[in-house]
Amino acid sequence: MLKSLKSITFGVVAAALTAGVAHADVTVYTAGPQSLIDKLSAGFTKQTGIKVNVFQATTGKVMARIEAEAANPVVDVLVSASWDTATDFAKRGWLVKYSSPNAAKVPDFLKTDSAVAQGISALGIAWNTKSGTPKPTEWADLTKKEYKDLVNIPDPAQSGSSFELTAALAGQDNFKLFNDLKANGAIIAGANADALNPVLQGAKAAVFGAVDYITLAAKAKGESIDVIFPASGTVIAPRPAMILNWSKNQDDAKKFIDYMLSDEGQKAVADEMLMPARTDIPANRPLISDLKLLKYDAAAVYGKRKETLAEITKIYGGK
Amino acid sequence: MKANGIGGAAQSPALAAWLAIVGLTLVVAVPFIAVVLQGIFPNLGQGSFAGPFSSLLATLADSALIGMAGNTLLLGGCVVLASAVVAVPLGVFRALYRIPYAPFWDVVLLVPFMIPPYIATLGWIMTLQPRGYLQQLVGFNLAPFLFSLFGMTLVMAFNTFPVVYFAVSRTVEAVGSRYADVGRVFGATPARAFWRITLPLSAPGLAASLMLVFAAAIEEYGTPAALGRRAGFQVLVTGIDLRITDWPIDLPGAAILSLLLVAMSLVTFLAQRWILSRRSYQTVGGKPTAKDKRPLGALKVPVMIAFAVVAFLATGVPLLSILATALSRTISGGLSLGNLSLNNFILVFGNSAGAVGALVNSFSLGIATALITGLIGVTAAYTVVKTRMRGRMTIDVMTILPNALPGIVVAVGLILAWNMPWLPATPYNTGFILLLAYCCILLPQPVRYTTAAFQQIGDNLEAAARVFGASGITAFRRILLPLVFPSLASAMLLVFALASRELVASVVVAPVGMQTIATFIWRQFEQGSIGLGMAMAFIAIVITTLLPLLLLTLLRRSGLVAE
Repeated sequence: MLKSLKSITFGVVAAALTAGVAHADVTVYTAGPQSLIDKLSAGFTKQTGIKVNVFQATTGKVMARIEAEAANPVVDVLVSASWDTATDFAKRGWLVKYSSPNAAKVPDFLKTDSAVAQGISALGIAWNTKSGTPKPTEWADLTKKEYKDLVNIPDPAQSGSSFELTAALAGQDNFKLFNDLKANGAIIAGANADALNPVLQGAKAAVFGAVDYITLAAKAKGESIDVIFPASGTVIAPRPAMILNWSKNQDDAKKFIDYMLSDEGQKAVADEMLMPARTDIPANRPLISDLKLLKYDAAAVYGKRKETLAEITKIYGGK
Repeated sequence: MKANGIGGAAQSPALAAWLAIVGLTLVVAVPFIAVVLQGIFPNLGQGSFAGPFSSLLATLADSALIGMAGNTLLLGGCVVLASAVVAVPLGVFRALYRIPYAPFWDVVLLVPFMIPPYIATLGWIMTLQPRGYLQQLVGFNLAPFLFSLFGMTLVMAFNTFPVVYFAVSRTVEAVGSRYADVGRVFGATPARAFWRITLPLSAPGLAASLMLVFAAAIEEYGTPAALGRRAGFQVLVTGIDLRITDWPIDLPGAAILSLLLVAMSLVTFLAQRWILSRRSYQTVGGKPTAKDKRPLGALKVPVMIAFAVVAFLATGVPLLSILATALSRTISGGLSLGNLSLNNFILVFGNSAGAVGALVNSFSLGIATALITGLIGVTAAYTVVKTRMRGRMTIDVMTILPNALPGIVVAVGLILAWNMPWLPATPYNTGFILLLAYCCILLPQPVRYTTAAFQQIGDNLEAAARVFGASGITAFRRILLPLVFPSLASAMLLVFALASRELVASVVVAPVGMQTIATFIWRQFEQGSIGLGMAMAFIAIVITTLLPLLLLTLLRRSGLVAE
């Protein structure tokens, strides 16, 4: 009796533990919205019959997993939230060269011979419309006294796009803007979501450099929040999708990229309030052509990453 | 297989020891060795042993390191102190006096432990920040107080003090008033009898629980990350996390910093051992103890107020904040009737984003983890305390190692160890890897609790059973196990609660396509769906509180547990 009880218990536990592990054909590691990858993988399986296994976390956690797995990697397709990943992985020779036929309408600056954008986010000012502050239109507005102690900045050490914005703006005036913001009581407040949360409740009025799609999705849910893209320019964060050269399912992986760039796949991207990579797919939000982009040399900016972060830490770190 | 157990009975101690050793090797030694090797060989992930020790100097020469290490110790010390101040008086009153509605207070004071620390912290932030719930209700906020070492200490202490409260109330109760009464007979005042007799005899439980609090405090990520960064307060764990999540990933650096944390935890552990080894704490000697507790008398009102205040701050505030957020249609809508909505709960029960699957996964993992750590824990504790086997100190040290390993490092260690290409079979990328991770992280709980319990049991009890012809296994099963069972059961319930909400390791090591409660909540937060995350958190807290209570009630009815 006791024995059978034990074996039943073990069986139940074992079944519960292995339930999540269907041995699928394509393994995708992805940063960013779970609902997007859920939609993409469901649509892909429906169309091709190929199953998709997903691991979703922040870009940093995805990279930590790939690094720890390096002796025996399992990932076929990687979607990162930072274009830097694609550059770095290509340099290491980890990527498969592939140009999807569906990438024809993706602008040249959003694809290389081994990576192509899934979608694009842009950074803007996320502003609580009920905060009692005037609507900001420029980055520098947030140094005005109306926003004293009311501005959050996402941590550039934790967010790739936030780093690029910081580096691009700091390069223009040698950190004057960031010194002024600090003097006005702005603080660095964790990763993107951590910075936005206090603005939703009203503890802060604005996020300096918020990821737009999260904010736009919150607005669509009825939060009193809006995104402003300053006319002086901002940065975009294309989300590169790439196939890893250790993949044993490269053909299926290529089909996944094709599906991601198909009409249906790009519509799913647009539904998440991201900008679709293809210029011929409509979206209910400002597109790249509506934004002014800051000019900076990405290679030079990343070359000085350590120094830039150290300077920001010097301005904002400690008391 | 010959062990110098009690009375030369080799069977039971040897069996227990072997079980403990196999379990510990699999659960603790494998990932720990992988982490150590990673610290020494930077390219271990690629399967290469090139450049040994090359990152050691670079990591240790980091100028921020001393500050981070100092902050870690400071925070750990403050949390231990605050937990003791809150929990020890309550625990002593609970043990020695008749507290009105005692079971109710026990449950209410258990809840903080069921609230994941990062959720509790977020709850406090949403309550105390400008325009938070407190300001919406009464017109002022306490933000400057919250974002400081003081605020961090209080939030963390309110989360961890139940460990101390339950340990103190249980051990003081076990010591009972008998020994103190002897002191009274010889003329000691009640206060003197308490300070000189009852409290010192309760030291094993108190010291063990304080050490668990210290280890939990220096290993905690969520609260220092959310509150400390704003106060410019970096600790080792936030430094480790930055090394692991900031590209290029610095796994060797993270491994070395983790070993530093482990060293801190080992020192406190050795200190605890040293304090306890100086004398005997055996109080359970088979003589009948009077279970009669004293009436509170004039102390009734102040003690009740103390219980109520602590319960409100530790349980009420975070829980209300979580519930308020979960029931809000929008965060910016604030506390108003028009903003009230059950939508988030409907989404969870409608299995939105795999919510129900996450609940099932976490609870089955929690139960399995509790059973495995309970088994390893009781055998390891028995071997360490009740046998004279050589190498039992090694077992004891092994059970303490995971205490200070941050969850994320355990996860990396497990990947390194179990993703080697030459392994014929591996738990990696199945749910079993999560089980291994949870067992590793949570093993110290049952070990510390049962060790403390074993230390209070006199050797003569087992010896008496053996004299009357019981085999070693029978003596263990019929005499020792029932005596440590209350401690073991509460530790296992704790493990269940902690395992079903573990976040940091889960995020990194979870097999593809598998969600747990914590990763579900975390993903909702990442996407700005705070309300949905909070609804899930509330449901999880209610279930993790009610399920163990139900279990305990059933066990009590069946007569397996006396108290």
